[in-house]
Amino acid sequence: MRRVAAVAEYIFKQSFRNKILNVLIMFAVFGIGFALVISELAQEVEVKMVTDFGLFAIGLFGFLTLALSITVQMFEETELKTISMILVKPVTRLEYLIGKYIGITLTILMNVLLMLITLMVIIQIRGGDPWSLKLITAAGLIFISLGVLTSTALLLSVISTSVPGALIFLFFIYILGHLTMHLKHLAEAINNTAANIVINIFYYVLPNLELFNLKDKIFSPSGLFSPRYLGFVILYASLYSFATLLAAAYVFEKKEY
Amino acid sequence: MNVIEVKGLTKIYKAQDFWKNDRVTAVRDVTFSVQKGEVFGLLGLNGAGKTTLMKVLLGLLKPTNGSVLILGGDIEDRAVRGRIGYLSELPYFPKYLKAREVLSYFADIFGIDEKIKKHKIEEVLKITGLDVRSDVRIKGFSKGMQGRLGLAQALLNDPELLLLDEPMSGLDPLGYKETREIILGLKKAGKTIFFNSHILSEVEKICDKVGVLHKGTMSEIKTVADIVKEHGDVEKYFVKIAGEN
Ligand SMILES: Nc1ncnc2c1ncn2[C@@H]1O[C@H](COP(=O)(O)OP(=O)(O)O)[C@@H](O)[C@H]1O
Ligand SMILES: [Mg+2]
Repeated sequence: MRRVAAVAEYIFKQSFRNKILNVLIMFAVFGIGFALVISELAQEVEVKMVTDFGLFAIGLFGFLTLALSITVQMFEETELKTISMILVKPVTRLEYLIGKYIGITLTILMNVLLMLITLMVIIQIRGGDPWSLKLITAAGLIFISLGVLTSTALLLSVISTSVPGALIFLFFIYILGHLTMHLKHLAEAINNTAANIVINIFYYVLPNLELFNLKDKIFSPSGLFSPRYLGFVILYASLYSFATLLAAAYVFEKKEY
Repeated sequence: MNVIEVKGLTKIYKAQDFWKNDRVTAVRDVTFSVQKGEVFGLLGLNGAGKTTLMKVLLGLLKPTNGSVLILGGDIEDRAVRGRIGYLSELPYFPKYLKAREVLSYFADIFGIDEKIKKHKIEEVLKITGLDVRSDVRIKGFSKGMQGRLGLAQALLNDPELLLLDEPMSGLDPLGYKETREIILGLKKAGKTIFFNSHILSEVEKICDKVGVLHKGTMSEIKTVADIVKEHGDVEKYFVKIAGEN
Protein backbone atom coordinates (compact mmCIF):
# COMPACT_ATOMS: atom_id res chain seq x y z
CA MET A 1 0.00 0.00 0.00
CA ARG A 2 2.84 2.38 0.85
CA ARG A 3 4.38 1.63 -2.52
CA VAL A 4 1.14 2.37 -4.34
CA ALA A 5 0.92 5.65 -2.47
CA ALA A 6 4.55 6.48 -3.31
CA VAL A 7 3.96 5.98 -7.03
CA ALA A 8 0.72 7.96 -6.92
CA GLU A 9 2.36 10.80 -5.04
CA TYR A 10 5.31 10.87 -7.43
CA ILE A 11 3.05 11.08 -10.47
CA PHE A 12 0.82 13.69 -8.89
CA LYS A 13 3.79 15.89 -8.04
CA GLN A 14 5.39 15.24 -11.41
CA SER A 15 2.38 16.81 -13.11
CA PHE A 16 2.81 20.04 -11.22
CA ARG A 17 6.52 20.21 -11.82
CA ASN A 18 5.99 19.96 -15.53
CA LYS A 19 5.89 23.35 -17.21
CA ILE A 20 3.66 22.31 -20.10
CA LEU A 21 1.08 20.94 -17.72
CA ASN A 22 1.11 24.12 -15.68
CA VAL A 23 0.64 26.20 -18.79
CA LEU A 24 -2.23 23.94 -19.81
CA ILE A 25 -3.97 24.46 -16.48
CA MET A 26 -3.55 28.21 -16.80
CA PHE A 27 -5.00 28.04 -20.28
CA ALA A 28 -7.96 26.11 -18.98
CA VAL A 29 -8.70 28.57 -16.21
CA PHE A 30 -8.27 31.56 -18.52
CA GLY A 31 -10.28 29.76 -21.16
CA ILE A 32 -13.21 29.47 -18.83
CA GLY A 33 -12.61 33.02 -17.63
CA PHE A 34 -12.92 34.02 -21.27
CA ALA A 35 -16.57 32.99 -21.13
CA LEU A 36 -17.03 35.95 -18.79
CA VAL A 37 -15.57 38.35 -21.32
CA ILE A 38 -17.87 37.07 -24.04
CA SER A 39 -20.88 37.32 -21.83
CA GLU A 40 -19.90 40.87 -20.85
CA LEU A 41 -19.71 41.85 -24.51
CA ALA A 42 -22.98 40.27 -25.43
CA GLN A 43 -25.51 40.85 -22.69
CA GLU A 44 -27.97 38.45 -24.24
CA VAL A 45 -25.59 35.54 -23.59
CA GLU A 46 -27.30 33.56 -20.92
CA VAL A 47 -26.03 31.64 -17.95
CA LYS A 48 -26.92 28.53 -19.94
CA MET A 49 -24.34 29.26 -22.59
CA VAL A 50 -21.66 30.07 -20.07
CA THR A 51 -22.39 26.79 -18.31
CA ASP A 52 -22.32 24.88 -21.58
CA PHE A 53 -19.03 26.38 -22.60
CA GLY A 54 -17.51 25.89 -19.15
CA LEU A 55 -18.43 22.21 -18.94
CA PHE A 56 -17.17 21.65 -22.46
CA ALA A 57 -13.84 23.23 -21.47
CA ILE A 58 -13.62 21.12 -18.32
CA GLY A 59 -14.01 17.95 -20.38
CA LEU A 60 -11.57 19.02 -23.06
CA PHE A 61 -8.85 20.35 -20.77
CA GLY A 62 -9.28 17.41 -18.45
CA PHE A 63 -8.61 15.15 -21.40
CA LEU A 64 -5.59 17.19 -22.52
CA THR A 65 -4.21 16.94 -18.98
CA LEU A 66 -4.53 13.17 -19.20
CA ALA A 67 -2.89 13.03 -22.62
CA LEU A 68 0.01 15.16 -21.47
CA SER A 69 0.45 13.25 -18.25
CA ILE A 70 0.60 9.93 -20.13
CA THR A 71 3.11 11.41 -22.56
CA VAL A 72 5.39 12.64 -19.80
CA GLN A 73 5.29 9.29 -18.06
CA MET A 74 5.86 7.19 -21.15
CA PHE A 75 8.75 9.43 -22.04
CA GLU A 76 10.33 9.11 -18.60
CA GLU A 77 9.86 5.38 -18.57
CA THR A 78 11.13 4.56 -22.03
CA GLU A 79 13.66 7.27 -22.82
CA LEU A 80 15.13 7.69 -19.37
CA LYS A 81 14.86 3.96 -18.62
CA THR A 82 13.77 4.76 -15.08
CA ILE A 83 11.16 2.02 -15.27
CA SER A 84 13.72 -0.77 -15.38
CA MET A 85 15.29 0.56 -12.18
CA ILE A 86 11.87 0.71 -10.53
CA LEU A 87 10.56 -2.66 -11.64
CA VAL A 88 13.53 -4.58 -10.23
CA LYS A 89 12.69 -3.22 -6.79
CA PRO A 90 10.32 -5.01 -4.44
CA VAL A 91 7.19 -3.52 -5.99
CA THR A 92 4.73 -5.57 -8.04
CA ARG A 93 3.75 -4.36 -11.45
CA LEU A 94 0.13 -4.25 -10.33
CA GLU A 95 1.05 -1.93 -7.47
CA TYR A 96 2.93 0.29 -9.88
CA LEU A 97 0.03 0.40 -12.31
CA ILE A 98 -2.55 1.18 -9.63
CA GLY A 99 -0.25 3.89 -8.26
CA LYS A 100 -0.12 5.46 -11.70
CA TYR A 101 -3.88 5.29 -12.08
CA ILE A 102 -4.43 7.01 -8.76
CA GLY A 103 -1.73 9.61 -9.47
CA ILE A 104 -3.18 10.56 -12.83
CA THR A 105 -6.79 10.69 -11.66
CA LEU A 106 -5.76 12.88 -8.72
CA THR A 107 -4.04 15.26 -11.12
CA ILE A 108 -7.16 15.38 -13.26
CA LEU A 109 -9.36 15.86 -10.19
CA MET A 110 -7.29 18.86 -9.15
CA ASN A 111 -7.66 20.40 -12.59
CA VAL A 112 -11.34 19.69 -12.84
CA LEU A 113 -11.93 21.25 -9.42
CA LEU A 114 -9.91 24.32 -10.35
CA MET A 115 -11.89 24.78 -13.56
CA LEU A 116 -15.19 24.08 -11.84
CA ILE A 117 -14.51 26.73 -9.21
CA THR A 118 -13.67 29.22 -11.95
CA LEU A 119 -16.88 28.35 -13.72
CA MET A 120 -18.90 28.69 -10.54
CA VAL A 121 -17.47 32.13 -9.90
CA ILE A 122 -18.46 33.21 -13.41
CA ILE A 123 -21.95 31.79 -13.06
CA GLN A 124 -22.29 33.71 -9.81
CA ILE A 125 -21.19 36.91 -11.52
CA ARG A 126 -23.69 36.30 -14.33
CA GLY A 127 -26.44 35.95 -11.78
CA GLY A 128 -26.92 32.20 -12.06
CA ASP A 129 -26.92 29.60 -9.33
CA PRO A 130 -23.37 28.28 -8.93
CA TRP A 131 -24.39 25.71 -6.33
CA SER A 132 -26.88 24.04 -8.65
CA LEU A 133 -26.79 20.33 -7.96
CA LYS A 134 -27.18 19.61 -11.65
CA LEU A 135 -24.07 21.61 -12.50
CA ILE A 136 -22.00 19.82 -9.89
CA THR A 137 -23.37 16.44 -10.95
CA ALA A 138 -22.57 17.16 -14.59
CA ALA A 139 -18.99 18.12 -13.67
CA GLY A 140 -18.72 15.00 -11.52
CA LEU A 141 -19.72 12.80 -14.44
CA ILE A 142 -17.14 14.49 -16.63
CA PHE A 143 -14.54 13.61 -14.03
CA ILE A 144 -15.75 10.01 -13.96
CA SER A 145 -15.53 9.80 -17.76
CA LEU A 146 -11.95 11.07 -17.48
CA GLY A 147 -11.30 8.23 -15.03
CA VAL A 148 -12.55 5.80 -17.68
CA LEU A 149 -10.23 7.42 -20.21
CA THR A 150 -7.33 7.18 -17.76
CA SER A 151 -7.60 3.42 -17.49
CA THR A 152 -7.93 3.24 -21.27
CA ALA A 153 -4.84 5.41 -21.68
CA LEU A 154 -2.87 3.20 -19.29
CA LEU A 155 -3.84 0.16 -21.33
CA LEU A 156 -2.68 1.91 -24.50
CA SER A 157 0.58 2.95 -22.85
CA VAL A 158 1.48 -0.64 -21.95
CA ILE A 159 0.39 -2.05 -25.30
CA SER A 160 2.21 0.38 -27.54
CA THR A 161 5.93 0.66 -27.86
CA SER A 162 6.01 4.30 -28.94
CA VAL A 163 4.67 7.47 -27.35
CA PRO A 164 3.13 8.86 -30.57
CA GLY A 165 1.41 5.52 -31.19
CA ALA A 166 -0.26 5.55 -27.79
CA LEU A 167 -1.27 9.20 -28.18
CA ILE A 168 -2.83 8.78 -31.60
CA PHE A 169 -4.93 5.88 -30.34
CA LEU A 170 -5.92 7.84 -27.25
CA PHE A 171 -7.19 10.78 -29.34
CA PHE A 172 -8.91 8.36 -31.69
CA ILE A 173 -10.72 6.72 -28.77
CA TYR A 174 -11.60 10.10 -27.28
CA ILE A 175 -13.21 11.30 -30.49
CA LEU A 176 -14.93 8.04 -31.45
CA GLY A 177 -15.96 7.50 -27.83
CA HIS A 178 -18.10 10.61 -28.14
CA LEU A 179 -19.61 9.34 -31.38
CA THR A 180 -20.56 5.78 -30.46
CA MET A 181 -24.29 6.57 -30.84
CA HIS A 182 -23.63 7.59 -34.40
CA LEU A 183 -21.69 4.39 -34.95
CA LYS A 184 -24.79 2.42 -34.04
CA HIS A 185 -26.85 4.42 -36.51
CA LEU A 186 -24.14 4.01 -39.12
CA ALA A 187 -24.18 0.25 -38.67
CA GLU A 188 -27.92 0.24 -39.19
CA ALA A 189 -27.62 2.29 -42.36
CA ILE A 190 -24.90 0.22 -44.00
CA ASN A 191 -25.82 -2.99 -45.74
CA ASN A 192 -22.40 -4.54 -45.69
CA THR A 193 -21.88 -7.36 -43.20
CA ALA A 194 -18.12 -6.96 -42.86
CA ALA A 195 -18.36 -3.21 -42.31
CA ASN A 196 -21.20 -3.84 -39.91
CA ILE A 197 -19.17 -6.22 -37.82
CA VAL A 198 -16.25 -3.80 -37.65
CA ILE A 199 -18.52 -0.91 -36.66
CA ASN A 200 -20.22 -3.04 -34.04
CA ILE A 201 -16.88 -4.06 -32.56
CA PHE A 202 -16.00 -0.39 -32.22
CA TYR A 203 -19.40 0.30 -30.73
CA TYR A 204 -18.99 -2.26 -27.98
CA VAL A 205 -15.27 -1.90 -27.31
CA LEU A 206 -14.98 1.88 -27.20
CA PRO A 207 -16.06 3.65 -24.05
CA ASN A 208 -19.39 5.36 -24.58
CA LEU A 209 -18.36 8.81 -23.44
CA GLU A 210 -21.61 10.52 -24.34
CA LEU A 211 -23.28 8.73 -21.44
CA PHE A 212 -21.37 11.10 -19.17
CA ASN A 213 -22.34 14.23 -21.04
CA LEU A 214 -25.20 15.96 -19.28
CA LYS A 215 -24.36 19.52 -20.14
CA ASP A 216 -27.18 19.86 -22.66
CA LYS A 217 -29.66 18.51 -20.14
CA ILE A 218 -28.90 20.83 -17.24
CA PHE A 219 -31.55 23.32 -18.21
CA SER A 220 -34.11 20.91 -19.50
CA PRO A 221 -36.28 18.76 -17.32
CA SER A 222 -35.10 15.28 -18.00
CA GLY A 223 -34.73 11.97 -16.24
CA LEU A 224 -31.01 11.95 -16.85
CA PHE A 225 -30.30 13.32 -13.42
CA SER A 226 -32.29 10.56 -11.78
CA PRO A 227 -30.44 8.40 -9.26
CA ARG A 228 -31.24 5.45 -11.51
CA TYR A 229 -29.47 6.91 -14.53
CA LEU A 230 -26.54 8.13 -12.45
CA GLY A 231 -26.25 4.74 -10.81
CA PHE A 232 -26.20 3.07 -14.20
CA VAL A 233 -23.51 5.40 -15.52
CA ILE A 234 -21.33 4.95 -12.46
CA LEU A 235 -21.69 1.19 -12.72
CA TYR A 236 -20.78 1.34 -16.40
CA ALA A 237 -17.72 3.47 -15.63
CA SER A 238 -16.58 1.14 -12.85
CA LEU A 239 -16.92 -1.98 -14.95
CA TYR A 240 -15.25 -0.42 -17.97
CA SER A 241 -12.35 0.95 -15.91
CA PHE A 242 -11.93 -2.30 -14.03
CA ALA A 243 -11.85 -4.34 -17.23
CA THR A 244 -9.36 -2.05 -18.98
CA LEU A 245 -7.11 -1.88 -15.91
CA LEU A 246 -7.21 -5.65 -15.64
CA ALA A 247 -6.22 -5.95 -19.30
CA ALA A 248 -3.45 -3.38 -18.76
CA ALA A 249 -2.16 -5.30 -15.73
CA TYR A 250 -2.16 -8.52 -17.74
CA VAL A 251 -0.16 -7.00 -20.63
CA PHE A 252 2.15 -5.12 -18.26
CA GLU A 253 2.94 -8.31 -16.35
CA LYS A 254 4.21 -9.95 -19.56
CA LYS A 255 5.99 -6.93 -20.94
CA GLU A 256 9.76 -7.00 -21.17
CA TYR A 257 11.91 -3.96 -20.46
CA MET B 1 27.48 -19.98 -1.56
CA ASN B 2 26.38 -19.08 -5.08
CA VAL B 3 24.77 -15.67 -5.25
CA ILE B 4 24.10 -16.01 -8.97
CA GLU B 5 23.57 -19.40 -10.54
CA VAL B 6 22.80 -19.60 -14.24
CA LYS B 7 22.25 -22.86 -16.11
CA GLY B 8 21.82 -23.30 -19.85
CA LEU B 9 20.44 -19.79 -20.28
CA THR B 10 19.28 -18.77 -23.74
CA LYS B 11 17.49 -15.56 -24.65
CA ILE B 12 15.99 -15.16 -28.10
CA TYR B 13 14.39 -11.82 -28.95
CA LYS B 14 11.26 -12.18 -31.00
CA ALA B 15 10.77 -9.84 -33.91
CA GLN B 16 10.08 -6.31 -32.80
CA ASP B 17 8.56 -5.62 -36.13
CA PHE B 18 5.15 -7.20 -36.39
CA TRP B 19 5.54 -8.07 -40.07
CA LYS B 20 8.93 -9.70 -40.02
CA ASN B 21 9.88 -12.69 -38.00
CA ASP B 22 13.52 -12.06 -37.41
CA ARG B 23 14.85 -13.57 -34.26
CA VAL B 24 18.01 -12.56 -32.48
CA THR B 25 19.70 -15.03 -30.21
CA ALA B 26 21.32 -12.57 -27.83
CA VAL B 27 22.42 -15.09 -25.19
CA ARG B 28 23.17 -18.67 -26.10
CA ASP B 29 23.30 -21.56 -23.62
CA VAL B 30 25.21 -19.73 -20.90
CA THR B 31 26.15 -21.48 -17.66
CA PHE B 32 28.09 -19.84 -14.84
CA SER B 33 27.93 -18.88 -11.22
CA VAL B 34 29.10 -16.03 -9.01
CA GLN B 35 30.02 -16.61 -5.40
CA LYS B 36 29.36 -14.46 -2.39
CA GLY B 37 31.78 -11.59 -2.00
CA GLU B 38 33.13 -11.84 -5.54
CA VAL B 39 33.45 -9.04 -8.04
CA PHE B 40 32.57 -10.55 -11.38
CA GLY B 41 33.31 -8.69 -14.61
CA LEU B 42 31.35 -9.54 -17.72
CA LEU B 43 33.26 -8.40 -20.78
CA GLY B 44 32.15 -8.26 -24.37
CA LEU B 45 31.97 -6.11 -27.47
CA ASN B 46 28.95 -3.92 -28.14
CA GLY B 47 26.03 -6.16 -28.98
CA ALA B 48 27.60 -9.22 -27.37
CA GLY B 49 24.56 -9.71 -25.16
CA LYS B 50 25.80 -8.31 -21.84
CA THR B 51 22.79 -6.11 -21.15
CA THR B 52 20.44 -8.87 -22.23
CA LEU B 53 22.06 -11.35 -19.85
CA MET B 54 21.85 -8.89 -16.96
CA LYS B 55 18.21 -8.11 -17.66
CA VAL B 56 17.36 -11.80 -17.63
CA LEU B 57 19.10 -12.11 -14.25
CA LEU B 58 16.94 -9.23 -13.03
CA GLY B 59 13.68 -10.64 -14.34
CA LEU B 60 13.17 -7.69 -16.70
CA LEU B 61 13.41 -10.16 -19.57
CA LYS B 62 12.10 -13.71 -19.41
CA PRO B 63 14.55 -16.45 -20.35
CA THR B 64 13.71 -18.42 -23.49
CA ASN B 65 15.45 -21.42 -21.99
CA GLY B 66 17.43 -22.33 -18.92
CA SER B 67 17.28 -21.33 -15.29
CA VAL B 68 18.45 -18.50 -13.06
CA LEU B 69 18.81 -18.51 -9.28
CA ILE B 70 19.49 -15.24 -7.50
CA LEU B 71 20.49 -15.37 -3.82
CA GLY B 72 19.24 -18.93 -3.86
CA GLY B 73 15.74 -17.90 -4.94
CA ASP B 74 13.57 -16.62 -7.72
CA ILE B 75 13.98 -13.01 -8.82
CA GLU B 76 10.18 -12.73 -9.04
CA ASP B 77 10.14 -13.15 -5.28
CA ARG B 78 9.66 -9.78 -3.59
CA ALA B 79 12.04 -10.67 -0.77
CA VAL B 80 14.82 -11.52 -3.23
CA ARG B 81 14.32 -8.26 -5.08
CA GLY B 82 14.61 -6.38 -1.81
CA ARG B 83 18.15 -7.68 -1.46
CA ILE B 84 19.57 -6.59 -4.82
CA GLY B 85 20.58 -3.27 -6.35
CA TYR B 86 20.62 -2.45 -10.06
CA LEU B 87 22.13 0.34 -12.08
CA SER B 88 20.97 0.45 -15.68
CA GLU B 89 23.08 1.40 -18.66
CA LEU B 90 23.26 5.22 -19.04
CA PRO B 91 20.64 6.12 -16.45
CA TYR B 92 18.95 9.48 -16.73
CA PHE B 93 16.60 11.01 -14.22
CA PRO B 94 13.84 13.61 -14.59
CA LYS B 95 15.53 16.98 -15.01
CA TYR B 96 13.23 18.92 -12.72
CA LEU B 97 14.01 16.81 -9.63
CA LYS B 98 16.83 17.02 -7.12
CA ALA B 99 19.00 14.05 -6.21
CA ARG B 100 17.41 13.79 -2.78
CA GLU B 101 13.92 13.74 -4.29
CA VAL B 102 14.77 10.92 -6.68
CA LEU B 103 16.28 8.93 -3.84
CA SER B 104 13.30 9.57 -1.60
CA TYR B 105 10.94 8.20 -4.26
CA PHE B 106 13.09 5.13 -4.83
CA ALA B 107 13.41 4.56 -1.08
CA ASP B 108 9.61 4.51 -0.83
CA ILE B 109 9.46 2.00 -3.67
CA PHE B 110 11.94 -0.16 -1.77
CA GLY B 111 9.64 0.13 1.22
CA ILE B 112 12.39 1.58 3.41
CA ASP B 113 11.14 2.59 6.84
CA GLU B 114 10.30 6.29 7.04
CA LYS B 115 12.40 6.61 10.22
CA ILE B 116 15.65 5.48 8.66
CA LYS B 117 14.96 6.81 5.17
CA LYS B 118 16.59 10.19 5.65
CA HIS B 119 19.65 8.66 7.17
CA LYS B 120 19.88 6.09 4.34
CA ILE B 121 19.67 8.81 1.70
CA GLU B 122 22.48 10.79 3.33
CA GLU B 123 24.55 7.63 3.52
CA VAL B 124 24.30 6.75 -0.18
CA LEU B 125 24.84 10.38 -1.19
CA LYS B 126 28.03 10.30 0.80
CA ILE B 127 29.24 6.98 -0.63
CA THR B 128 28.77 8.26 -4.17
CA GLY B 129 30.18 11.69 -3.39
CA LEU B 130 26.95 13.44 -4.35
CA ASP B 131 26.32 14.95 -0.94
CA VAL B 132 27.66 18.33 -1.98
CA ARG B 133 25.41 18.55 -5.04
CA SER B 134 22.28 16.95 -3.71
CA ASP B 135 20.23 20.14 -3.76
CA VAL B 136 21.00 20.99 -7.36
CA ARG B 137 18.34 20.02 -9.88
CA ILE B 138 19.35 17.12 -12.10
CA LYS B 139 19.19 19.56 -15.00
CA GLY B 140 22.64 20.71 -13.85
CA PHE B 141 24.08 17.21 -13.54
CA SER B 142 26.77 15.87 -15.85
CA LYS B 143 26.49 12.34 -17.28
CA GLY B 144 28.93 11.16 -14.67
CA MET B 145 26.85 12.61 -11.86
CA GLN B 146 23.70 10.99 -13.22
CA GLY B 147 25.60 7.72 -13.24
CA ARG B 148 26.57 8.24 -9.62
CA LEU B 149 22.98 8.99 -8.73
CA GLY B 150 22.09 5.74 -10.48
CA LEU B 151 24.57 3.98 -8.26
CA ALA B 152 23.24 5.78 -5.18
CA GLN B 153 19.68 4.57 -5.78
CA ALA B 154 20.98 1.01 -6.19
CA LEU B 155 22.57 1.19 -2.74
CA LEU B 156 19.54 2.45 -0.82
CA ASN B 157 18.49 -0.97 0.42
CA ASP B 158 22.02 -1.98 1.43
CA PRO B 159 21.92 -4.77 -1.18
CA GLU B 160 23.83 -8.02 -0.88
CA LEU B 161 24.15 -8.24 -4.65
CA LEU B 162 24.76 -5.36 -7.03
CA LEU B 163 24.24 -5.61 -10.77
CA LEU B 164 25.82 -2.71 -12.62
CA ASP B 165 25.42 -2.28 -16.37
CA GLU B 166 28.39 -0.35 -17.73
CA PRO B 167 28.87 1.77 -14.61
CA MET B 168 31.78 3.56 -16.27
CA SER B 169 30.48 4.32 -19.71
CA GLY B 170 30.38 8.02 -20.44
CA LEU B 171 32.85 8.86 -17.68
CA ASP B 172 36.25 10.50 -17.93
CA PRO B 173 39.41 8.91 -16.47
CA LEU B 174 38.83 10.67 -13.18
CA GLY B 175 35.31 9.25 -13.16
CA TYR B 176 36.76 5.77 -13.75
CA LYS B 177 38.94 6.16 -10.71
CA GLU B 178 36.12 7.39 -8.51
CA THR B 179 33.77 4.61 -9.60
CA ARG B 180 36.51 2.06 -9.12
CA GLU B 181 37.04 3.28 -5.57
CA ILE B 182 33.33 3.11 -4.84
CA ILE B 183 33.11 -0.45 -6.18
CA LEU B 184 36.17 -1.57 -4.24
CA GLY B 185 34.70 0.00 -1.12
CA LEU B 186 31.50 -1.97 -1.64
CA LYS B 187 33.50 -5.14 -2.13
CA LYS B 188 35.24 -4.48 1.15
CA ALA B 189 31.82 -4.15 2.76
CA GLY B 190 31.20 -7.75 1.67
CA LYS B 191 28.88 -7.15 -1.27
CA THR B 192 28.81 -9.33 -4.33
CA ILE B 193 29.14 -7.32 -7.52
CA PHE B 194 28.32 -8.34 -11.06
CA PHE B 195 29.12 -5.78 -13.68
CA ASN B 196 29.34 -5.34 -17.43
CA SER B 197 32.09 -3.38 -19.00
CA HIS B 198 34.31 -3.00 -21.97
CA ILE B 199 36.87 -0.90 -20.16
CA LEU B 200 39.45 -3.64 -19.80
CA SER B 201 42.03 -1.81 -17.72
CA GLU B 202 39.41 -1.10 -15.04
CA VAL B 203 38.13 -4.65 -15.09
CA GLU B 204 41.64 -5.86 -14.42
CA LYS B 205 41.94 -3.56 -11.41
CA ILE B 206 38.56 -4.31 -9.89
CA CYS B 207 37.48 -7.88 -10.64
CA ASP B 208 38.23 -11.20 -9.06
CA LYS B 209 36.82 -13.17 -11.96
CA VAL B 210 36.09 -12.44 -15.56
CA GLY B 211 33.86 -13.96 -18.21
CA VAL B 212 33.85 -12.90 -21.83
CA LEU B 213 30.59 -12.90 -23.71
CA HIS B 214 31.07 -13.12 -27.45
CA LYS B 215 28.08 -13.20 -29.78
CA GLY B 216 25.96 -14.51 -26.95
CA THR B 217 28.32 -17.31 -25.91
CA MET B 218 30.25 -17.21 -22.63
CA SER B 219 33.92 -18.08 -22.43
CA GLU B 220 35.38 -20.12 -19.62
CA ILE B 221 35.29 -18.11 -16.38
CA LYS B 222 38.78 -17.31 -15.15
CA THR B 223 40.26 -15.42 -12.25
CA VAL B 224 42.07 -12.23 -13.16
CA ALA B 225 45.21 -13.66 -11.54
CA ASP B 226 45.13 -16.68 -13.85
CA ILE B 227 44.51 -14.52 -16.91
CA VAL B 228 47.46 -12.32 -16.08
CA LYS B 229 49.62 -15.40 -15.55
CA GLU B 230 48.57 -17.09 -18.80
CA HIS B 231 48.10 -14.14 -21.16
CA GLY B 232 49.96 -11.20 -19.68
CA ASP B 233 46.91 -8.99 -19.21
CA VAL B 234 43.12 -8.97 -19.58
CA GLU B 235 43.27 -7.11 -22.87
CA LYS B 236 45.31 -9.82 -24.59
CA TYR B 237 42.94 -12.47 -23.29
CA PHE B 238 39.95 -10.47 -24.44
CA VAL B 239 41.32 -9.92 -27.93
CA LYS B 240 42.06 -13.60 -28.17
CA ILE B 241 38.41 -14.50 -27.53
CA ALA B 242 36.53 -11.58 -29.06
CA GLY B 243 38.94 -11.27 -31.96
CA GLU B 244 38.03 -14.63 -33.44
CA ASN B 245 34.85 -14.89 -35.38
N1 LIG C 1 14.67 -5.47 -27.50
C1 LIG C 1 15.41 -6.10 -28.43
N2 LIG C 1 14.84 -6.70 -29.49
C2 LIG C 1 15.58 -7.33 -30.42
N3 LIG C 1 16.91 -7.44 -30.37
C3 LIG C 1 17.56 -6.86 -29.35
C4 LIG C 1 16.85 -6.16 -28.32
N4 LIG C 1 17.75 -5.68 -27.43
C5 LIG C 1 18.96 -6.08 -27.87
N5 LIG C 1 18.86 -6.77 -29.02
C6 LIG C 1 19.97 -7.41 -29.76
O1 LIG C 1 20.58 -8.37 -28.94
C7 LIG C 1 21.99 -8.34 -29.07
C8 LIG C 1 22.64 -8.10 -27.72
O2 LIG C 1 22.36 -6.78 -27.27
P1 LIG C 1 22.81 -6.25 -25.84
O3 LIG C 1 22.45 -7.27 -24.83
O4 LIG C 1 22.27 -4.90 -25.66
O5 LIG C 1 24.39 -6.19 -26.00
P2 LIG C 1 25.50 -5.45 -25.13
O6 LIG C 1 24.87 -4.97 -23.87
O7 LIG C 1 26.56 -6.47 -24.92
O8 LIG C 1 26.02 -4.32 -25.97
C9 LIG C 1 22.29 -7.26 -30.10
O9 LIG C 1 22.45 -7.90 -31.34
C10 LIG C 1 21.06 -6.40 -30.10
O10 LIG C 1 20.86 -5.83 -31.36
MG1 LIG D 1 24.77 -3.07 -23.08
